[in-house]
Amino acid sequence: MRIGILSFAHLHAEGYLANLRRIPGVEIIGFSDADTERSKRIAQKYGVRWFWTHEDLIAAGPDAVIVTSENARHRELVQLAAGARVHVLCEKPIATTTEDALAMKTAVEEAGVKFMTAFPMRFSPAVQAAREMVRSGALGQVLAVVGVNHSENPKHHRSWFVDKELAGGGATMDHTVHLADLYRWMFGVEVGEVTAAISNPFDAEVEVDTAGLLLLKLENGVPASIDASWSRPSNYPRWGHLKMEIVGQKGSLLLDAFAGHLHVWRGAGGRGYEWAGFHPDPNQGMIESFVSSLRAGRQPPVSWNDGFEAMRVALAAYRSAAEGAPVSPADL
Amino acid sequence: MGRVHAGVYRNLGVELVGAYDPDQERLGAFAAEFSLAALDSYEELIEGVDVVDICAPTYVHEQLAVQAFAAGKDVILEKPIALTPESARRIIDAEQRSGRRLFVAMVVRFFPQYRSAADLARGDKLGGLGVVRLKRVLFPPGPGWYRDPEKSGGMPVDLMIHDLDYARWLLGEPVRVFARRSPRLEDGAHEHVQAVLEFASGAIAHVEGGWAYPPGYFRTSLDIAGDRGLVEWSSDAPQPVETLFPKDAPAPAVGLPLAGLEENPYETELRHALLALELGGPFDVTPADALAALELALAVRESADTGRVVEVA
Repeated sequence: MRIGILSFAHLHAEGYLANLRRIPGVEIIGFSDADTERSKRIAQKYGVRWFWTHEDLIAAGPDAVIVTSENARHRELVQLAAGARVHVLCEKPIATTTEDALAMKTAVEEAGVKFMTAFPMRFSPAVQAAREMVRSGALGQVLAVVGVNHSENPKHHRSWFVDKELAGGGATMDHTVHLADLYRWMFGVEVGEVTAAISNPFDAEVEVDTAGLLLLKLENGVPASIDASWSRPSNYPRWGHLKMEIVGQKGSLLLDAFAGHLHVWRGAGGRGYEWAGFHPDPNQGMIESFVSSLRAGRQPPVSWNDGFEAMRVALAAYRSAAEGAPVSPADL
Repeated sequence: MGRVHAGVYRNLGVELVGAYDPDQERLGAFAAEFSLAALDSYEELIEGVDVVDICAPTYVHEQLAVQAFAAGKDVILEKPIALTPESARRIIDAEQRSGRRLFVAMVVRFFPQYRSAADLARGDKLGGLGVVRLKRVLFPPGPGWYRDPEKSGGMPVDLMIHDLDYARWLLGEPVRVFARRSPRLEDGAHEHVQAVLEFASGAIAHVEGGWAYPPGYFRTSLDIAGDRGLVEWSSDAPQPVETLFPKDAPAPAVGLPLAGLEENPYETELRHALLALELGGPFDVTPADALAALELALAVRESADTGRVVEVA
């Protein structure tokens, strides 16, 4: 199977490249990116072919592509790939507007290609075990869910994350979708309502939000929160966390998806301290699932609709914060 | 809480004059445990003391506190100050008329980790505060007045008030509050609430409170992120003293949540109150703080009940 990577704008592209290389029978045809400096560095560091334009990469005839551009450019790249009958794994959030997301759906359906939304946390063994426990009923009636997906400010790695046009927003756009998707997936219901406080307390240099607190009401009546803030300092021992506490009448479950780590101190100067994870990489499971779905001719397990519904939760959060009232994602 | 306070007074060398409780059996046991007089009435208790420590249920706070102030006594009053702002104001009015002091025992400010974190946050060590997360979740109270919102104010007023007060201590008064509560169960005891507070500075806070865990579990945590630093603490972290027992055997006790702390926070609190009384100095929790925390807890309860965003300032 021949796979290409459309754009290295998103941080995750480097990880996906490593994930692809671990899968037997996958040929990485290269990546396309208009940023010359970045591309030369990537091509040299990883020994992959660089295509100056996305059209050139598509012309090289991949079976599938991974779209890891800036959020607002997903639409044009998905349309380009679908138009050439190439399957797509698309980074989250899948778009920044419902209009773009719907256009992507049309392109994919008309071309008859497969589309997967990149929600790697579904492939975390810890998350899967938590979902099993919820669905087994062992916790009894679920009373509340408290979710945290906070991180450092990603602008230090890629500046477009704080460009409202390209990213569609800040921390709330960046992080809401992971937990929103997990809640939908674990409980098998949509998010009925979102109330949110969104703010920029951490970075006076940027226009976008750096903090977001969301209280959701799932359609089964369970209240669930999301902390989407870029509230970890850049010298935090790791990029951040994905945590979830599910409070049930019979018992509670505490999920810390990246809990397994070594405490590592290194380097000179200061107290250089790091958490080095040793659990399976959820991205690996996600990429393998994408490849095996294509090989089997199956729909990948995370759909366009999953990406769309999670994106609408983030959009509802922005509207709620602006209006000071609860907003239903279905109204967006 | 009466036992905890009495134990602290004993340690501090305070003369315990006597105790009163309308439940004769409970009063007898308490008096025997602390070797003090079991008095026949609240009036008799007030007569014989300098300071009245009220650990009675919230719904009688006003009556007992006003009575003590009328007799010219200082009052240490368990939190929450009262069930309604009107009731709290009547207590504060009585205090002011009497010229005596009111100390509302909001003990969280006296826990060493909460105090240290507040020192960092209030001392500008973390820069401007951005996102504050505070958690306090334990098992539901047994049958009794706690379960009756008419008598205890319910979980937001009885429990979340600690962290709402702490949030105010760090960030001042919020401008908006919204909250979501757990589905109502038939047992009427389980309640979990998440509240978001918004402040004029742009700071936002997530406050979680619950009577929701299985018996024996009590978890608290704080996470205070500023634009120049971060402080985290969780009760999940290993304690200075941990015990290991066979996993399939029931633990002999719930645990020792205070073991290893340098000082009992209740002792810090009461010593601070007694010193403030002796020297006429300030107490960290003013009656106005106690009232404001109550108003905030009521706003959280209102939003949790109605689903609406509540403007509070």
